[in-house]
Amino acid sequence: MLQFGDSMFPIGAFSFSSGLESAVQKGVVTNVATLRAFARTAVEQAARGDGIALIAAHRAATAGDVGTLTRIDAQVYARKLSDETRTMSIRMGKKFTEMGVEMVGAPLLYTWRERIESSATPGCYPIALAISFAVQNLPACQAFVVHQYGVATTILGAALRLMKVSHIETQKILYELTGQTEEMYATAAAARLSDMAAFAPLTEILAAVHTRAHVRLFMN
Amino acid sequence: MIPAAFPPWTRAETLGASMPEFARFQDEPLQMRSGTVGKTGFLRLGLEHRCGQTILAKLERRSPYMVQRALHCDEAMPGLAYVFLITTTGCVLQGDRLALDITLGPHAQAHLTSQSATKIHAMDANYAAQSQSITLADHAYLEFLPDPVIPHRHSRFLSDTQITIAPSATLLLSEIVQPGRKHHHPDERFGATVLSISNSAVRPDGRVLFAEKLVIEPQRYAMRQTGVMDSFDVFANVILCAPKDKAERIHERAGAEVKLTEGLAFGACRLPNDAGLIFKVLGRETAQVKAKVREFWGIVRKEVVGHPLPPPYLWR
Repeated sequence: MLQFGDSMFPIGAFSFSSGLESAVQKGVVTNVATLRAFARTAVEQAARGDGIALIAAHRAATAGDVGTLTRIDAQVYARKLSDETRTMSIRMGKKFTEMGVEMVGAPLLYTWRERIESSATPGCYPIALAISFAVQNLPACQAFVVHQYGVATTILGAALRLMKVSHIETQKILYELTGQTEEMYATAAAARLSDMAAFAPLTEILAAVHTRAHVRLFMN
Repeated sequence: MIPAAFPPWTRAETLGASMPEFARFQDEPLQMRSGTVGKTGFLRLGLEHRCGQTILAKLERRSPYMVQRALHCDEAMPGLAYVFLITTTGCVLQGDRLALDITLGPHAQAHLTSQSATKIHAMDANYAAQSQSITLADHAYLEFLPDPVIPHRHSRFLSDTQITIAPSATLLLSEIVQPGRKHHHPDERFGATVLSISNSAVRPDGRVLFAEKLVIEPQRYAMRQTGVMDSFDVFANVILCAPKDKAERIHERAGAEVKLTEGLAFGACRLPNDAGLIFKVLGRETAQVKAKVREFWGIVRKEVVGHPLPPPYLWR
């Protein structure tokens, strides 16, 4: 579990900033307090949206139900309303599935990779993460923790390169945010797929701004 | 799909029963119960292209919803049917259920708007729900641009819009949400209890295009948080479903910017599955947001039908 959740795990999370790059450029994130709030928004949004799909996909993967996994994947993809969040999710999902095939090699992972490669399914990240955990008999709550941790570390990792903030400060934010994961898991686990929701309009506008930026360090 | 044995407004009546954000609000009002006559409005509009202009070929209505007639008042587009949605109650109250069913036949062109802002009153029991179904056939063109929604303190509102759109058709759908009557009372800024707004679109063959569900619960999730509303008060969500080449040109022209000092932020993103664009605007005042939505509307009309907008009405 630690290995799959590590930021060193080569799925390319380091090349994304989840909107932070634009937020810093536009003066939305300027200091530790606004960085903490921005990261909190991302973590909350992930728990209310992708987190629900992740748990549903874990259930489907445990039952070996590829049809349901495909439906969940389509629903997650349909809810990614900007190019860059879509690119991030399918790129990380594909890489994660490929790594799973190489390391774990379960039949379901082979099937899923084949479906992604043949464009039968987009292959979003939460589904890939859920499948890899389910085939190793790791529980959904651990997959959820890894997912939420990844959302926070992507932003905080990018923050170290984009703004004046120390490792100590980013670690403090991370410690604070991960402390809320258990409660978020309980809410997400009780929700249906159709309950996936969001509300972060400024984050979405920042994604639109980023697509048009001339100078970019990160892919989103 | 709902079997024909049920009235066409069944979806509006049942939606809120299973949504977790309304689980706490299933109690009935002490006044008229939800779903009684006068509380469940229904409107079915069938717009069709006949002899060079679009007419209101079908109209079914149940109070408090009503529509009088289609006007052809746009000088640049004389064939465009201009339809005002009227609600006779003047506001949305607890226990109200509203259902709207709009169908545009091939090549039909229409502009749909409301008479005034939709005010959602404070609630101490139950909630209000609105279910909208929009179906566009080949080459149909619909602008659905109602005035803003104003959720008063302690209001609970559910809106669910289901779109079925042919690949050659165009839909421009705007929703402007105010934080409340912001100058009326300090508590009124984001004083609503729940606003749940769902939009989803499919092709006529059932293929999923996109879905979004915005749930605003200011007591659970801070509105002023960075990345959410920040220092802004008014929010617009504009959906454009259009053929890919037109959507690309509109995306090019729409721009994206965050100007914190001026209190305005906006940007368009490409929707998944080549469905079109989503344009979001944040502003400090409603007028700024309305102006930005109008600008986007102007780009859409120019790129899709090749005509300019009529001059703005003085009182809108």
